[in-house]
Amino acid sequence: MSKFLLFLGCTIPTKQYAYEISARNVLPRLGIELVDFPEAGCCGFPLKGINKKGWVYMSARILSIAAKKGLPILALCNGCDTSLRKIKDILKHDEVLRNEIAELLSREGIKLNFNVDVYHTIEVLHDFVGIERIKALVVRPLKGIKIASYPGCHMLRPTDIPRPEPSGEPKKFDSILSALGAEVGYYPDKGGCCGATMLPYSPKHAFKLTAIKIKNMKDFGFQATTTSCPYCMEMLDSKQDAIRAEVGDDTLSIPVFYITQLVGLAIGLKPKELGLNLNLSPVEEVLERLGVSIYE
Amino acid sequence: MSLDVRLIDKKILEDVIELVKPHTPQYCYQCAKCTSACSTSKVLPEYKPHLIVALTRLGLIKELLNSGIIWACSECWKCAEYCPQNVAPVEVVIALKNLAIAMGYKPPEDLKVMAKNVIELGYISPPIEVLSKEFEMYSRTTLELPPLIKPYINTEAVNNLRKLFGGVL
Repeated sequence: MSKFLLFLGCTIPTKQYAYEISARNVLPRLGIELVDFPEAGCCGFPLKGINKKGWVYMSARILSIAAKKGLPILALCNGCDTSLRKIKDILKHDEVLRNEIAELLSREGIKLNFNVDVYHTIEVLHDFVGIERIKALVVRPLKGIKIASYPGCHMLRPTDIPRPEPSGEPKKFDSILSALGAEVGYYPDKGGCCGATMLPYSPKHAFKLTAIKIKNMKDFGFQATTTSCPYCMEMLDSKQDAIRAEVGDDTLSIPVFYITQLVGLAIGLKPKELGLNLNLSPVEEVLERLGVSIYE
Repeated sequence: MSLDVRLIDKKILEDVIELVKPHTPQYCYQCAKCTSACSTSKVLPEYKPHLIVALTRLGLIKELLNSGIIWACSECWKCAEYCPQNVAPVEVVIALKNLAIAMGYKPPEDLKVMAKNVIELGYISPPIEVLSKEFEMYSRTTLELPPLIKPYINTEAVNNLRKLFGGVL
């Protein structure tokens, strides 16, 4: 059994609860032991524009606490995963900054240590649980449903640090979906941006960027989409109504799931155990095809 | 007529180079591959990463910061991936944002709120109640999720955060 510190970041434990619920219920059933990590807090990634050193400090703090616990980190959020790996790289190469951060941390009694492994949901599912094991556990195959994997920027980039999907394409993601019985495939700009980071600058422009993604998926015949990033989920699912209104296109409607929710459905969990009642997009279109009621 | 060759504000360029290390904005040759790849540019055509790098190198930083355009970056990192010169325009933009804050420019309001929440709560937002499909409100408690504790309990930790982010409030 593989054991990980469950690092939730900010968005998941403060509003994207369905990801936390589904991860907590699904991963242990796949042989992954999760250890709560409540002293972690924000990784600092959203604040890097204000002060890069502050961002480095926040991620370095999380890495150091985890290193002391002696367990690898499972980051559910794409941003957190990127942040921790990027900061490991920065600390490794920048001695001046490393010393400054060590000094800041020592004031609160923490010894800087970034010798800790960081993994993302997609890696835990693909590399630790494994495709064969997932296949063996499927009792409710997602047969005949064409699902667009939506990796989100930070599962693929920046490419100068190790990425959960090292090929630059969501290959692991698609192989997980195939293992669940779903149909996968290409659509334009599959590795493109949801626009979430543009929200504070201009919701209007951010929504337009998400609209392009949903349109591409619809044009290529996908019946649903899935992500492993709470920011992408926020844009694709929670703001789908607002996006339709902004671009004036009623056809931009698609069920959106977290990958952990789809794995949970396929291995026979009930919608409530996966937080599916919290998805605002029309997920019942897919549930009906599987013969499942959202109220179960 | 003489040509004014003191256009480049060396100090600002040095600050940017320091912040984006090991990337090398001084090697940009304006091929604009970054702008071709840019996510923001698809919906906001006036946002051009290659132009931001060019203006930075010319020291036209005040004009750039006054326009507010740097805050439109979606931070998708495509520009860095496509750049043949290891410039990483996204990292130049992040450095410019840092310099803007240090110079007293105000970021978008939501970013200020995030910084305030991080200092006070340890998260960019407090846990909120969400609406379900059945039009019911759910919280961490009603969803039977463990309570969120405040991660920064140490006074020194909060002092660190205030020192690093407090300037923006």
